[in-house]
Amino acid sequence: MQSLSQTSTAGVLLDLSGVLILLLAFACLASKLFNRYVVYYGAQSVVLSFAAGTAAVAFHSAELWILAALTLAVKGIAIPLAARRLLVTRLALKRDAAMSTGLSTSLIAGGALTAFAYLVTRPALLPHGTVASAVVPLSTAVILLGSLSMVVRRHTVAQLIGWLIVENGVFLGAITLVATFPFIVEAGIFLDIVAGVLIMVVFVSGLTRQLAEASAAELKELRG
Amino acid sequence: MTALAILVVLGPLAGPAAAIADARARLAGLAQAGGAAMALGCALALLTMLDGRAPLAGWDGFLYVDSLGGFFLMTVAAVTLLAALGSVGYVAAQEDSGELSGFQVRLYFTFFGLFASLMLAALETGNLGLLFVLIEASTLASAALVGLEGRARSLEAAWKYVIISSLGVTIALAGTLFLFYSGSALHLGSNLGLTWPYLLMHAHALAPQSLRLAFLLAVVGYGTKVGLAPMHTWLPDAHAEAPSPASAMLSAALLNTGMYAIIRFLAIAHARLGSTYPRAVLLSFGFASIVIGALFMVRKGNFKRLFAYSSVEHMGIIAVALGFGGVLGLYGALLQTLNHALAKAVLFLSSGDVSLRYRTREANQVTGLLAAVPVTGGALLLASFAALGSPPFGLFLSELTIVRAGFAYGSPVFPLLLLALLGLAFVAFARTTAGMVTGSPPAQLASPYRGRAAVAVTAAPLVLGLAALLVLGLWIPAGLDAVLRHSVGVIG
Repeated sequence: MQSLSQTSTAGVLLDLSGVLILLLAFACLASKLFNRYVVYYGAQSVVLSFAAGTAAVAFHSAELWILAALTLAVKGIAIPLAARRLLVTRLALKRDAAMSTGLSTSLIAGGALTAFAYLVTRPALLPHGTVASAVVPLSTAVILLGSLSMVVRRHTVAQLIGWLIVENGVFLGAITLVATFPFIVEAGIFLDIVAGVLIMVVFVSGLTRQLAEASAAELKELRG
Repeated sequence: MTALAILVVLGPLAGPAAAIADARARLAGLAQAGGAAMALGCALALLTMLDGRAPLAGWDGFLYVDSLGGFFLMTVAAVTLLAALGSVGYVAAQEDSGELSGFQVRLYFTFFGLFASLMLAALETGNLGLLFVLIEASTLASAALVGLEGRARSLEAAWKYVIISSLGVTIALAGTLFLFYSGSALHLGSNLGLTWPYLLMHAHALAPQSLRLAFLLAVVGYGTKVGLAPMHTWLPDAHAEAPSPASAMLSAALLNTGMYAIIRFLAIAHARLGSTYPRAVLLSFGFASIVIGALFMVRKGNFKRLFAYSSVEHMGIIAVALGFGGVLGLYGALLQTLNHALAKAVLFLSSGDVSLRYRTREANQVTGLLAAVPVTGGALLLASFAALGSPPFGLFLSELTIVRAGFAYGSPVFPLLLLALLGLAFVAFARTTAGMVTGSPPAQLASPYRGRAAVAVTAAPLVLGLAALLVLGLWIPAGLDAVLRHSVGVIG
């Protein structure tokens, strides 16, 4: 496979998209409003689909074009819209109060995790010449940030968004491999479907319990 | 042979087909059991045909069955058969008493069959991407089973299960990506390059740094599905809240499928990194799981949670055995997998009968099981001893092998620690189950089943499973021994 070098236009654009995706993950971590979570996630997915498009141009890959379009349609538009309609509006979710640490603490932890991601996956440690861009450390950082927000937030909807961010991080890492590994494409599409199913699960469970606050913090029955 | 491999996967779909055709619980359950029996038969036939010969491979590596895969296919198919037989009585009784609606019964068999079929398919693929896809899909199918009863508790358990497992499996996907990064010197261009046998064959060309990361992420990720501590937190809730035959599937089939994925990564890591690094990772997670499992078993309470923590403990033992390595360690790990699957299937299925009769899942409200329901009580008692590793059952043999492997590997500290923890687990577990089977039963216990046939079909999987456990404790058939040896050779 031809690899993207750091200096090519596509390489620079991919790096930039990666940085934007990381910043949006931080924005989500720093926010306290459910509406914002959904907006930031949607914006992140749009940038992700742009990154996939960039890779598609660079590699002349039809599969990547399909992937970019799917990302935009499913993650950029359909999931945020559905999440807003079915969860945020219907359950009248506004401010997320169920956090186990303060915002500043979680942001500092996020910064530390980003540094950690760079330490572990900095380009020098990876096999030479393949992934020249900074995409791998960036995607690792996004995965860690998403996991962090799942740990810090106790609300089921916030945890769901956290998981979707983790998934975006994995997807960003996969883009650099897609030209070599077409199957990752299918796995990515599959993940999208999974996300849809998960949202339905939340929706159904929220409906069943008829609770405005489907907070995992209230899950007291199952302990030990 | 390819046809056999396809039939293994299609077999369990008989249940969903019957459910969609609007069959009642009894009929759908029997269809499910028939399909599972077919799957088991085909898996055994496949194993016989493989017998040390070249693995079955096709479709650009998407289909790949070797002895190791065949062994796990046999285990999962056997558990599916036992659990399907258990479902016949259990679900029909719940349908009759009105606890499950007709719709819920159809949902149950649809997802039960899908769950089994997806796991079997995951064991038949050589493509690591597809492995991820199938394991994640099986998570979703089983989450529907966990939340089936629709009470707040089961929905909570299902939510916890689906979100933690999905995060885990996504991390395993990141591990798979790093495995591919480490192989970039190979210029993996085609689908074949993504497959496990190709990567193992070219393991010497993998970059060690990112391979290390890949192995760690895979153990953490798939370890979430296996229930290795500290990623085990979903497990006791999901096992306690799912309908009992589904709990048997989770404990005896799903956990093994996750372990299978870890073993595939272990083989590659072992070939390139040597034994030190994988051993350190597996021993850490393994011992953490045994400690957590044993400590939480001390608490008396819901008996299904007790069995679930025992699964955490056993998965820890298997991870430790894989960490010890060598022929003995790997042989013991695989034997332990099969034995644990059978013992845990019997335990969860008998717990289903107990909770139907006593209408409780609390251990201290159950007494006199042996006097009230001799078959179930006896099965629960014997399977408990089997699960705790006492002779003459199979787990005694496999745990002995694992301890021997530990001494062979060098430092006696680890096997001695393992023995001490097994002792603790024994006391904790037997304390609860002994209280359940002894004493005098409560005065009024109505049978939840209609007709003798339902009682017989409930007892059948218990007797079958125990018989298999007893045979494996006394004698390992030559065919099984050959399969285990070939599988150990595959792992390296």
